Amino acid sequence: MSAPVTIRPSADAAVVKGGPTRSESLTSLMPVLALVSLVIALAAAKPGFLSQPSMTAVVDAAAPLAVLAAGATIAVLCGGIDLSIAALASLSSVLLALWLPTLGGLASVAVVGVAAAAGALQGAAHVFLRIPSFIVTLGGMSLFSSIALVISGAAPVPVTDDGPIRWGFTRIFDVVPSAAVVAVVVVAVLAVLIKATPLGSWITATGYSEPAARLAGIPVDPLKIGAFCVSGACAGLAGVLLVARTFSGGPTMADSLLLPAIAAIVVGGTAITGGHGGLWRTLVGALVVTLLRVGLSVVGVSAAYESILYGALIVAAVALTLDRSKVMVVK
Amino acid sequence: MAPLVDTRPARSRLRRGVSVRDAGPPIALLVIVLILSLLSPQFRTMGNALNILDAAAVLAVVTCGTTFVLLLGSIDLSAAGVMGASSLVVAVLVENSRNNLDLGTLGILIAVVLAAALGCVSGLLVVLLKVPSFMTTLGVSAIGLGVATLVFDGVQPGVVDPSLRSWATGRLLGLTYLTWIAVVCVLLAWFVQRYTRLGRYAMAIGGAEEVLALSGVRVGPYKVAVFTMAGAFYGLGAVMVTSQLGSGLVQSGASYTFASITAAVVGGTLLVGGRGGVLHSTVGVLLLTVLTNGLVLIGVSPYVQGGVQGLIVVVAVAVAAAPLRHRNQVVK
Amino acid sequence: MSAEGVIAQRSPSVVLEVRGLVKAYPGVKALNGVDLEVRQNEVLGLAGENGAGKSTLLKTLVGLVRPDAGEIYVRGQRVRLRNVVDAANHGIGMVFQEQSLVPNLTAAENIVLGCEGPAIRRGFYRWATMRALAQEQLDKIGSTIDPLARTDSLTFAERQMVEIAKVLRIEQRTHNSPVIILDEPTSVLEPSEIETLFEQVRRLREFASVIFVSHRLDEVLDVCDRVYVLRGGQSVGEVRPADAVAGELHRMMIGSESHEDHYHGSAVTRDETPRERLTVRGLAGATFRDVDLDVRAGEIVAVVGVHGSGREELCKALFGAVATTAGEVTLDGERLDLTGPRAACAAGVGYVPAERKVEGMVGPMSVADNMTLAKQRVRCAGPVIVPKRQSDIVDKWISRLSIRTPGRRTAIQRLSGGNQQKVILARWLVGGDVRLLLLDHPTRGLDVGARSEVYRLMRELAGTGVATLLLADSLEEAIGMADRVVVMSDGRIVAEVPCPPDRKPSPLDLVKEMV
Repeated sequence: MSAPVTIRPSADAAVVKGGPTRSESLTSLMPVLALVSLVIALAAAKPGFLSQPSMTAVVDAAAPLAVLAAGATIAVLCGGIDLSIAALASLSSVLLALWLPTLGGLASVAVVGVAAAAGALQGAAHVFLRIPSFIVTLGGMSLFSSIALVISGAAPVPVTDDGPIRWGFTRIFDVVPSAAVVAVVVVAVLAVLIKATPLGSWITATGYSEPAARLAGIPVDPLKIGAFCVSGACAGLAGVLLVARTFSGGPTMADSLLLPAIAAIVVGGTAITGGHGGLWRTLVGALVVTLLRVGLSVVGVSAAYESILYGALIVAAVALTLDRSKVMVVK
Repeated sequence: MAPLVDTRPARSRLRRGVSVRDAGPPIALLVIVLILSLLSPQFRTMGNALNILDAAAVLAVVTCGTTFVLLLGSIDLSAAGVMGASSLVVAVLVENSRNNLDLGTLGILIAVVLAAALGCVSGLLVVLLKVPSFMTTLGVSAIGLGVATLVFDGVQPGVVDPSLRSWATGRLLGLTYLTWIAVVCVLLAWFVQRYTRLGRYAMAIGGAEEVLALSGVRVGPYKVAVFTMAGAFYGLGAVMVTSQLGSGLVQSGASYTFASITAAVVGGTLLVGGRGGVLHSTVGVLLLTVLTNGLVLIGVSPYVQGGVQGLIVVVAVAVAAAPLRHRNQVVK
Repeated sequence: MSAEGVIAQRSPSVVLEVRGLVKAYPGVKALNGVDLEVRQNEVLGLAGENGAGKSTLLKTLVGLVRPDAGEIYVRGQRVRLRNVVDAANHGIGMVFQEQSLVPNLTAAENIVLGCEGPAIRRGFYRWATMRALAQEQLDKIGSTIDPLARTDSLTFAERQMVEIAKVLRIEQRTHNSPVIILDEPTSVLEPSEIETLFEQVRRLREFASVIFVSHRLDEVLDVCDRVYVLRGGQSVGEVRPADAVAGELHRMMIGSESHEDHYHGSAVTRDETPRERLTVRGLAGATFRDVDLDVRAGEIVAVVGVHGSGREELCKALFGAVATTAGEVTLDGERLDLTGPRAACAAGVGYVPAERKVEGMVGPMSVADNMTLAKQRVRCAGPVIVPKRQSDIVDKWISRLSIRTPGRRTAIQRLSGGNQQKVILARWLVGGDVRLLLLDHPTRGLDVGARSEVYRLMRELAGTGVATLLLADSLEEAIGMADRVVVMSDGRIVAEVPCPPDRKPSPLDLVKEMV
């Protein structure tokens, strides 16, 4: 759609402007500030909160969410969004529960592989069919849920021998939850991969300005497919972690994690418009979201408010981090 | 010198006639009905036809709302949450198994107004905060589900109110009241789309928003109004579902967000905005319902439905977008 | 200034008057004191080169651009135009070059859009009234379009009629004869359609005043009563077509002498036997065809042509960013893969886009990231970025191109336009493998100093054997910089003019070929 009259944005100022403004630095620090103040507030409200078991529980609860959100962060950084992650994690949990008896330890690998392939398929549909990513992944969400329901017979699939996946739900030195270690490792590996290679500037360039990225010869299409592939793989891994802690796979097990995951991404400060943000931010976002949930119960608010909180949180965080210079016409 | 190459966009020579794109979905509907009639003797009964119309009623009403939002070029993912909230609210306000309230029609009205208010919130967030609609409506959906959970409060309210219960059971000329409500809604929505400034401007916003602004039209209020109207349709749809289920459920609208978008897109109301309309979407609703009904009758698991819808929407969007494609186009 | 005093001074037949209009954009003065007078029932032509200030002037007249200084008078009364509606209320309307109709509404709705009056009552449409209102406007210009036809089912020419009818609604709003601006109305029309349009314009003159803008001078002379010539943001003269010929108009548009001596800098020294580097044979795409073109190593070839000549698309096509339908392109004898920018990059082709802010730079990314975006290997060992290599190569190019930046980690959007452009240029140079540079308006929006630095850089690169295809901002720039100028018109190459340093052609020679 072309505007009939485009008023060229006024050419740039001829002088070099100063560094980042105070409000910019404040926005980027906001997630950490929110985390710290939440911890302080909770410690004040509930004296035992800073104790080791309580902290362990929080970190443990945040882990699957962090893994789920970390993958999707990459899709968001590229300027897209993946709404299928939760459904894919549910499907992965069912697949894992079904495959564990026969494949044993390989089942986790197979599940992550299948989830990665499903993600890549969505990425390919998005790129080659030129369908907006939210609609492809919305379709994917529906498709994955349906497959999960069909193969599980719409019932939870119990896991009898959880030996091969016990690594996903133990305590290292009796203190550190292994799931949290997995989450940190996933985020660290992805972050290092992005930081140390040209992938980082490719992703940033694609997210900020896809035309410029293409005209600089960046392989935008494979990059986006790769982003959705990683997003899928992380969803698969999150599914594995969920099975490890519940000893069963369920066709709707992770569905309720979609909103918290998106909330974690945007609360961390990753802009939904693409380009701006990062994986560590999402880790912080996942902790903030988990603490808020814990906080609600500490304060004695009904769990029903959780959903309202996520909704408000998402809209508020998106509104704060949105790159308004890029959205001329909001659809 | 004449231009060597015709650089103008290809256009149909048909003036006010029916284009291929408009004719596609109805033809597809006919073909599917024919095939299913051949495959299943159960399908081609009068009773089943009435069943299909009955089953399509709620989706048709919800899709009316979704259609207007899609015409804007926006998207609405809030139907599930808005419907959940409305469903619970109407269930506890009419004569029910949980409290002594018996507001009757007023209760229904309150539920619809609540839904409209939630829609209005989506619209305001889109217009004032410039947050993309798929994000605001996702957020509002979560808020709606939260409201529903609050009202639900652990005990499912059963609807006792006889008049609301009769919506799903009472029949007029062989069709349930629900079906008639849906027919009225579709006609009303079509009227709004064709004969009111709101409807036509919604079309225009999807077609070329910047031209409207250039002509001195402030588009913001119209967008908010469209989201509000969509909310009202979801609210009515929720009341209908509640009547069908006989009780208020948080998840009563869960499947409708996606089903309504699928129906609208399949019917020819494109995601790019300004194309299609209420009648197109209604054809899509029938298509989807017939397909679901037929698949169940020929023995396909009902759980496959969602998967079929997921594939259909991706294919439909891809097909619709195909002629608009060009190299290096940015798709988010 | 009191309104009465003004009215007393102005001749009653002047409906629109512009005095000393100034509009400056950073680095460029689009309008530099323009004076203009539009009289009752006349067709006034506006002629001028690209960048002469025509479009800025028009946008000012309909309130899309606010002038920095100067006054606009409508019927002797000073007005301030804040937006299109304001302008319409004062009787000024514009038929936009890119049409401003809502494609999925009917012609009638578009005609009355924004001031429906009795056609909508309490939010409800009255289609019959709307149809009648629209028909009334269409009748004025003798158009036979069905008012209830969907706009996107009409031909371009028909849509233009709808747009004129829409502008004519102003008459009902102001109860005065309107001023109608036609901005390049003929650029996409067939000859027969142009004839019809001219009839319409003559018909409009019966009850309105028309400002007619076209880059085709013969048309301007054909249909206008008076012609203003704009150059460098100023009105440099007024011509009556009766006693003017196209050549005279050309001379006024271009000016007698070139002031921009800095183009003719030091001649490029190159190796003895320049090789053919780029050969294009029979290349065709959506807006160009049968393009044959050769560029030798170390040669700068400028492609000139009016808007719509297809040169921008040709340039993008050579980079793989626009699809081609036929033709063969070789670079140093090897077939050049045109499937996408990535292949072109790999083959040693560099492209500096015209829209620097949208297509060139990634604003919030650092100078270093922007500079190495296309040639990642210069800062990597294997797949891993080596900070030392990055800082070495980036700092080297920052100093070689004298890019003024606080540091390599500064976000590129904080630099001035000229320095941003140098970073984009450096993006192709860091690899040391660039063989062909496609420069699409590389000096657009830059001030004089930054321009001459870019020119110096282009010469230096040519000296190292890089072949350059230049889409220049002005004819003077093209002539000054190029060894050869290729003229494109309507998608074809129509002329080739050698441009050696000692025998530069005059811009006039080129304009003759362009139109």
